[in-house]
Amino acid sequence: MSLADKSVFELIVEKHTANLHAGFRRWSEEMGAPPPALGDYRWTDDLILSTWYQAAHGHPPQDRLEYRVGRSGGGFDVLDFNFLPESQWLPENTEIDLSLPLNRRGDHLEKISIPLPIYGGGMSYGSVSEQVMLSRARNAAHWGTFTSTGEGGYPRSLTEYKDNVITQVATGMFGVREETIQNARIVEFKYAQGAKPGLGGHLLGDKATQTVSEIRESVPWVSLFSPFPFHSVYSVEDHRKHVDWIKQTNPRALVSVKVSTPTDVDMVAVGSYFAGAHIVHLDGSYGGTGAAPEIAKKNIAMPIEFAIPRVHRYLLSEEIRDRVTVMASGGIRTAWDIAKVIALGADGAVIGTSELVAMGCTRCSNCERGRGCPFGLTTTDPLLSQFVQPDWGAERLNNLYTSYATQLKDILRRLGLRSIAELRGRPDLLKYVG
Amino acid sequence: MNTHDFISKLLASRRALRPEGGFEFPHPDAAEGGCGVIGMASSEQVAARHMLQALIQMRNRGNGKGGGIAAAGLVPKEFGVTREILENDYLIAVAYMDPGVRAQVEKDFIRKPFIVDHVHEQKHLKDFRAIPELEVRPPDVAIYFVRIKPKVIKDFMAEHDLLNVERRRVEDEIVYQNTYKLNTTFYQSTGDKQAFVLSHGKNLLVLKMVGYGDDVIKYYRIEDIHAHVWIGHHRYPTKGRVWHPGGAHPFIGLNEALVHNGDFANHASISEYLAQRDIYPLFLTDTEVAVQVFDLLHRTYNYPLEYVIEALAPTTERDFHRLPAEKQRTYEMLQTTHMHCSPDGPWFFLIAQTDTHAPSGPLYRLAGITDTSMLRPQVFAFQERALENGRKVSIGFAASEKQGIDAALESLAESDKRFWPRADRFWNARGGSHTDGGAFLFTVQAENGKPALAVTDKFGRRVPTPTSTPALKRGTRRAPGLSVSIPDVPAASLFKWAAGQLPGWKYSEALTFISGLAQAAVEPKKRRHVIDMLTLLIDRRHSIGNLRRSSLLTLYDACLADVIDMIQRDPGSDFIFHRAGMKLPVPASKKQAVVIDARGYSPQDETSLARELQRLYEAGFTQFMLVNCRGHRFIGNGFGPDTKGVRLDVYGSPGDYLGSGADGLEVHVHNNGQDQLAQIMKSGKLVVHGDVGQTFMYGAKGGEAYVLGNAAGRPLINAVGKPRVVINGTCLDYLAESFMAGDPLNGGGFVVLNGLAFDENNAVVSLDTPYPGGNLFSLASGGAIYVRDPHARVAADQLNGGRFAEMTEADWLLIEPYLEENARLFGISIDRLLTVDGQAHQPAEVYRKIRPSEVRALQAEEAWIHKAIARRGVKR
Repeated sequence: MSLADKSVFELIVEKHTANLHAGFRRWSEEMGAPPPALGDYRWTDDLILSTWYQAAHGHPPQDRLEYRVGRSGGGFDVLDFNFLPESQWLPENTEIDLSLPLNRRGDHLEKISIPLPIYGGGMSYGSVSEQVMLSRARNAAHWGTFTSTGEGGYPRSLTEYKDNVITQVATGMFGVREETIQNARIVEFKYAQGAKPGLGGHLLGDKATQTVSEIRESVPWVSLFSPFPFHSVYSVEDHRKHVDWIKQTNPRALVSVKVSTPTDVDMVAVGSYFAGAHIVHLDGSYGGTGAAPEIAKKNIAMPIEFAIPRVHRYLLSEEIRDRVTVMASGGIRTAWDIAKVIALGADGAVIGTSELVAMGCTRCSNCERGRGCPFGLTTTDPLLSQFVQPDWGAERLNNLYTSYATQLKDILRRLGLRSIAELRGRPDLLKYVG
Repeated sequence: MNTHDFISKLLASRRALRPEGGFEFPHPDAAEGGCGVIGMASSEQVAARHMLQALIQMRNRGNGKGGGIAAAGLVPKEFGVTREILENDYLIAVAYMDPGVRAQVEKDFIRKPFIVDHVHEQKHLKDFRAIPELEVRPPDVAIYFVRIKPKVIKDFMAEHDLLNVERRRVEDEIVYQNTYKLNTTFYQSTGDKQAFVLSHGKNLLVLKMVGYGDDVIKYYRIEDIHAHVWIGHHRYPTKGRVWHPGGAHPFIGLNEALVHNGDFANHASISEYLAQRDIYPLFLTDTEVAVQVFDLLHRTYNYPLEYVIEALAPTTERDFHRLPAEKQRTYEMLQTTHMHCSPDGPWFFLIAQTDTHAPSGPLYRLAGITDTSMLRPQVFAFQERALENGRKVSIGFAASEKQGIDAALESLAESDKRFWPRADRFWNARGGSHTDGGAFLFTVQAENGKPALAVTDKFGRRVPTPTSTPALKRGTRRAPGLSVSIPDVPAASLFKWAAGQLPGWKYSEALTFISGLAQAAVEPKKRRHVIDMLTLLIDRRHSIGNLRRSSLLTLYDACLADVIDMIQRDPGSDFIFHRAGMKLPVPASKKQAVVIDARGYSPQDETSLARELQRLYEAGFTQFMLVNCRGHRFIGNGFGPDTKGVRLDVYGSPGDYLGSGADGLEVHVHNNGQDQLAQIMKSGKLVVHGDVGQTFMYGAKGGEAYVLGNAAGRPLINAVGKPRVVINGTCLDYLAESFMAGDPLNGGGFVVLNGLAFDENNAVVSLDTPYPGGNLFSLASGGAIYVRDPHARVAADQLNGGRFAEMTEADWLLIEPYLEENARLFGISIDRLLTVDGQAHQPAEVYRKIRPSEVRALQAEEAWIHKAIARRGVKR
């Protein structure tokens, strides 16, 4: 096939894909400029580059690139581990168990366990492309963990991976149908997002393309808002009814309740457990892509590092800590962040942005625009979204997960622990370095 | 002494109550949102047992960690006192968790300030473990009937400079403060809990404990205690492993007890407000704070109830501007002054109140008040019979769920022949509105020496109730000599004939006809015909002359029950009977319907009716007839995709989420529906021969729905795709918020809102306005509303994101088939819809179309995209 046979569009796709796959090494010469943006204090250039490195190589960078913390001056960036003296580290060949059970209620439902304490967070069709969703799903299937549909429906191509896809029921109920609920081993109720609690969800008009609006059954090019809150749930008894509804539709599914971190987050967690949740998913405020309004991202909700210990202690005092799995999310960027949230009291972490970074995101924060993402991630534009091929994306994510697993084991080894479960709720193993 | 001085001094007298070391900001130790509530008020004194079934059926609104009841207007002899003592003495009910402190409590807080006229030891079960779910032994309760010692009153008045004032108000304050001191001495929310006062008003009793509301009735053995007003409550606290009865509802002010479903966001701010007036909550829940505000405004500030309600649930937005100018001024002052004590958030209050010294005689009241945004479920009901001597026997209800009311009324009708199982009327309150104020009051007071029940709204307006036709007398027999054989004509023709006859019939003749139907059903092959006929009689509104609809419905229900019995005893080929505990049947043919008695199934979980329906569907049944539904949730859920041809006919009071997720199936509800019907419905059909509750068709993607009556708040919120809905009544507020259902003329969705009601003769009448709310089509970006509004009553200021558009021929052609179906289902003809004030009109003169406004924020993007599409010449 000669160049002349290719349409302009195909050539554009080819060029960008090649650049993306080359890890931006060719970006400057080809595009005549550096990649747009490269991080901020929380997601530093080092963290972005080291995430790319991990996504390419399956292990953390061995040079001077910082791959553990950012430079935000707060949050996880001012926490470090109290490692044992090297002489007391467990030997390198020690078998270390990273697995995490997701159903601890002791009910008759499936005892799902994932081999490492992470799964992918909700990013909807519309907020990201189908190719990105497929990349995530393939990786989740490969690892035996999960990814989530977010609130935007269930593209048919995902059905193949349904055993590894969490279906989200969120306040707009976009794309929620009985069969999507029945497909799922885990159904997640999204009450709020840490990046923008109290604001519901939103997909601005120019991302609501023909295909997006088809799956959501809405009007193309019109902004879609998910209300805050569920207008059928104003209290915990309504929530229980809501959970009961899903259980009637799919009695086999585990229930995850995703909430943000208000000041009474501990009570919300306990209430969720008593209403039947297997997983309480706390979404803190550091996360969110560029689509969440700045004012919300930076100013609402309790920082996750405060919320987790609070919930952990409260669940302990209620004597139900070992009956519920607590997942934390919201600005968890690295394997070290994952270990820190677990030491603070979570059982595991839910990651989103770092997966996008692994696939080439530079944190340029153009996510809310339909054709704003230069890397074809947060778009459903038919041209742009071709930049990411699911096989390539899955490979990048697989490498990232491999690197995370290696680092988690290493952290545990240096703490003298043999399983990730032993790390949970051990703030004594952390120190403040701010 | 002027009022202002008096109030100031009354408040000043509370300074002594200030906690040592100052007021500490309370941290509620029990967050609670949901709860199940029911209240009833009657001209008669009714027994507590009639609340049992209602509370049992609403248990899924609580979690067994708190239950309580309040009773007002008691029977003297049931407490061993005279009427005089009951009405004049304070009834102080003390709960003793630690019976060891009783002597001390009595010495310091009963005998010291009071003259005790009588002590009533509240009975209870010997062993609390007889009620299996009780984890904690409920407190022992002693009830003291007391008067305040004259010297105590004199001293109090002198100490606080309260001279020449209304003595009774001072007495109330003394009792209030005495209770506060008793509670602070013997019940520390964070320490020892030995005893506390359950209630201290006159002719008002509260009992509560850690358990369900119905457990309270059983444990304290009050099944046969009678009162004019009852309220019952299940609590759903979400925090704490150890619960105490003090945290359960009802909470008391002085002469009122309050139960509550919901929670506030501004508990802290209200606590501050109260602390500034030296009122200190002790039990750390928002409900206690609510009743303290009520008591402050009503008793201390002496506000009329209307003003109290306005301070709690302010009238806002368009509703405010619809008030008379004078009222606006008053309300504005109330709102400004009391903003800090107005509970912010979802709440529904039920209040039992007594005023034994009211100028026109002792008064007992049930009040139901909803928050301005109507965020909690609430339903009111009424039934009334005129006796031959002209006296009216009436009962009113307010509850979280209609099914609770049905259960109470059914229980009452079983033991008291003056009542019957169907209420005359059900309705909802429109929170913070200019129309009813979001509150209804059921007041029992003597009229001509006999207690009578009056129903009024917030503004004190009597609520019209259908009382002019006589109710059926128990024991009415078939007309002698008359016999009816039911001809083999289609049910529709037979119905037409009967509907023509009924206006001229007496009950005895109607009975003859109905028993003719039952007789015909003995033959199995006629049963479908009879059931169709009975269903039409139950569903349709038509003139019934001098008969009462609720009475006829009771007769139809009984006849239907007889037919179901026949099916159970002798199933034919058309029907098969099934109930909980029976082996799962297999259909004999494709069209065989399974008749399911819902009573043995739980409302949710594995043993639910909904799960059994799924199993029956898997076994091959597609035709379902559900009878005796009592709040069973999730009916028709979980059948999965492509269920065209499945039909469910639902009788009784189905519960929440009915038809949710439907994708092809058809559900016909031959009664009112509850909340959250048809969420995310995809396709199929839902027909409700009555009203529907909150968030009807939330997030629906498609399907057809026909509602004979009204929808409560937020129908069609976030609906997308192509749902097509006809609502014949109105909607309280927020109709089609965030509606995104495309362009109806190009396959999108719409709502037809007819704005109709039925008058006392069951004739169709137009409402004053088809839509009273302030938020029609808020934030909508697609779809349309076709509102029957010939007098253009809906104004632009009611639209928030919508605009009026031309009603074209194409629009009419679109909705006409749905109105034809509507006519077929409900008997409301298109001719009737197009008739205004007796004149026939063109559709465009009667219907108005509302479309979303342009989404202005996005015009730049939209233009860009349109250009991009236009540019698309490049080969792809």
